[in-house]
Amino acid sequence: MNVAWALLWKDLATEWRSRDRIVAMTVFSFLIIVVFQFAWPNMEPEQIAQLAPGILWVTYVFAAVIGLGRTFSTELENDAMTALALAPGNRGWIFLGKATATWVLITAVQAMAGLVFALFFRVDLTIGLSGTAAIVVLANVAICSVGTLLSAMSVRSRFREVLLPVLLIPTLIPVLAAAVTGTTATVAGEALALTTLQPLIVIGGIYFILCFLLFDFVLDE
Amino acid sequence: MSPVRLRGTAIEKRYGRVAALRGIDFEIAPGEAVALLGANGAGKSSLLKILAGLSKPSQGQFGAFVDGGTSPLDRSSLRAAVGYVGHATLLYGELSARENLDFAARLYGQRANQERIDQVLEDFALADVADRRAGTFSRGMAQRLAIARAVIHRPGLLLLDEPFTGLDELSAERLSEQLGRLRGEERDAETNGGTPSLIVVTHDPRRATELADRAILLHHGIIRATPSKQHAEEFTADALRAMLGEFAREASHAA
Amino acid sequence: MTTASSSDPPTPATSSSPIGGDRLGLTLKLLGWAVLGLLPLYAWTVSTAPIDSVQGMMQKILYVHPPLAYGAYLGFVATAIAGGLFLWQGREVHDQLAIAGAEVGTLFCTLMLITGPIWARGAWGPGNWWVWDARLTLTLLLWFVYLAYLLLRSFTEGDERAARFSSIYGILGVVLIPLNYWIIDLVGGAMHPNNLEFEEESSSLGMGMGLPFFVGNLTLFFVFIYLLVLRWRVGMLRTEAERAEFDARRN
Repeated sequence: MNVAWALLWKDLATEWRSRDRIVAMTVFSFLIIVVFQFAWPNMEPEQIAQLAPGILWVTYVFAAVIGLGRTFSTELENDAMTALALAPGNRGWIFLGKATATWVLITAVQAMAGLVFALFFRVDLTIGLSGTAAIVVLANVAICSVGTLLSAMSVRSRFREVLLPVLLIPTLIPVLAAAVTGTTATVAGEALALTTLQPLIVIGGIYFILCFLLFDFVLDE
Repeated sequence: MSPVRLRGTAIEKRYGRVAALRGIDFEIAPGEAVALLGANGAGKSSLLKILAGLSKPSQGQFGAFVDGGTSPLDRSSLRAAVGYVGHATLLYGELSARENLDFAARLYGQRANQERIDQVLEDFALADVADRRAGTFSRGMAQRLAIARAVIHRPGLLLLDEPFTGLDELSAERLSEQLGRLRGEERDAETNGGTPSLIVVTHDPRRATELADRAILLHHGIIRATPSKQHAEEFTADALRAMLGEFAREASHAA
Repeated sequence: MTTASSSDPPTPATSSSPIGGDRLGLTLKLLGWAVLGLLPLYAWTVSTAPIDSVQGMMQKILYVHPPLAYGAYLGFVATAIAGGLFLWQGREVHDQLAIAGAEVGTLFCTLMLITGPIWARGAWGPGNWWVWDARLTLTLLLWFVYLAYLLLRSFTEGDERAARFSSIYGILGVVLIPLNYWIIDLVGGAMHPNNLEFEEESSSLGMGMGLPFFVGNLTLFFVFIYLLVLRWRVGMLRTEAERAEFDARRN
């Protein structure tokens, strides 16, 4: 557990000092949102209402992929990855620390991107904000779990920029589907029911536990 | 931590068509210093990874023991006893020297003890740059920090993987001295049972004779020779170089 | 000074050691005969099946498209189980099975996606070359997982690492199958209200269609197992040959 905290602190401290992941993810999100705006320039409010959750989540998922690709970039510098592999104890804690750090970063970026999104697409933020936030927070658990595991696997490859999205996106389809459905409901003003959150809780739970256990095998040589 | 005893029987490391180690036996006594020599592809790295607890042999028995115990350490406990120095520094450029050591200590499950960290920084002449970002260090300073990092948790087994790569003559000399001192100092440390065992992988026979009492010469995944200091004539840099050269020539004749 | 002599190459950890008999080869022969017998039967039952009044010959794809599912889905299940065994025991034989499952499975999955539009056009009418039918959607998603698996294998450096990483991804991927099924069931109605339903094909079969359907299922199942074992055996033989050559060169 100590190890998890150590990694969480280390990643957040490093990010605070260099800010490279946050900046990359934020700029990328803003750009996607703007691109979508220009893709459908004259949308009617009803059309926006229909498409908005999908556009929002596409933005979130792609920004997350960008951020996850850099999960282990500080470890690559001086082969610190070997240092992690050499650490004793259950390597799942390393996974937890890393995944949580990414979770914090992604959630922060999504909050900012969400604001810009609401601004450009003229979405009323007062409707269902807490419900949407709950969905985002939960979906991120699934995204960060499987993303951290796959990032660790792709980081050693020459083709890591291509490999990670190819590996990751198929696994995120269920998350995307559940998140978009949930967001459509909350943005339409429906009360947040457990049934809306249930798929995300289940997926998040399964992914987290599975990746926690499998991470051990990733660090071996 | 107590010095580690290592023992391997019929160790093999092979997968697919690659056979890195094809059946080797070795015994490394607690506190012993051994050099692993061989050409590229001889199997040194593969063996080192097994000794570090980073990988498992495909076949054979491998065990690490402490305090005269007869049951081998599990891989996690072995990793806890290992201090590793590679040719990469394993450091985080954005963190200061102090933070790097703190992080390393916590990775090894030790609540960071500021006194211990200060002491180690002192020992490695890094006290005045303790709060500077490691990314700004010179190669020599970074290497010192890398070793400091490796010993912060008082390992019973030091594994050095080509630590002299990329160092100029002066830095290499200093490193060699440092490593010698390290083993001497650890002998006196309160919480230690003795000098940590040392295994250094190198292709430089001179460094091998400086740091170790014995050498294991690997070639194509098997042990071809194990000269030791006890037979002084065969444990000189020249003698080692000659042996390695002979193995290389055999290979080119056979091919 | 002590010199160690080189050790003999170890007995390969496969099920086809010369001493123990070639179990895979034997299984393959038996399967081969089964397939050889079933294929003509399959062809005959399909050709003599009644031609649908509405869809014509195209409807006969019904006897090909759904049975391919055995290969497509069982292939990945085999890959995942073999991967799990590999992580547990580290034996190459398991990894070879995983590769076999992935390659043969990809073949069947691709065939499903090719016959899918033909089936869809027939079942749903003109203009419906693709429908977001539950089975097609699930198969498409599986196809991407297969692709990712194969790319992971190609792009990972180091044979053992590739085996280990693909085993991990295999386990992750196989969990996706029920997960996607559940999600499609749950939210599919909201996504594509018209099409997403899981229907039992056999319940909507008319007269005279039961036999070719049954034979089709049986045949393609055996074809899958045959190809799986074949690919597995080829993989094992190749590994052993490479290893023997490597040892010979080194000694």
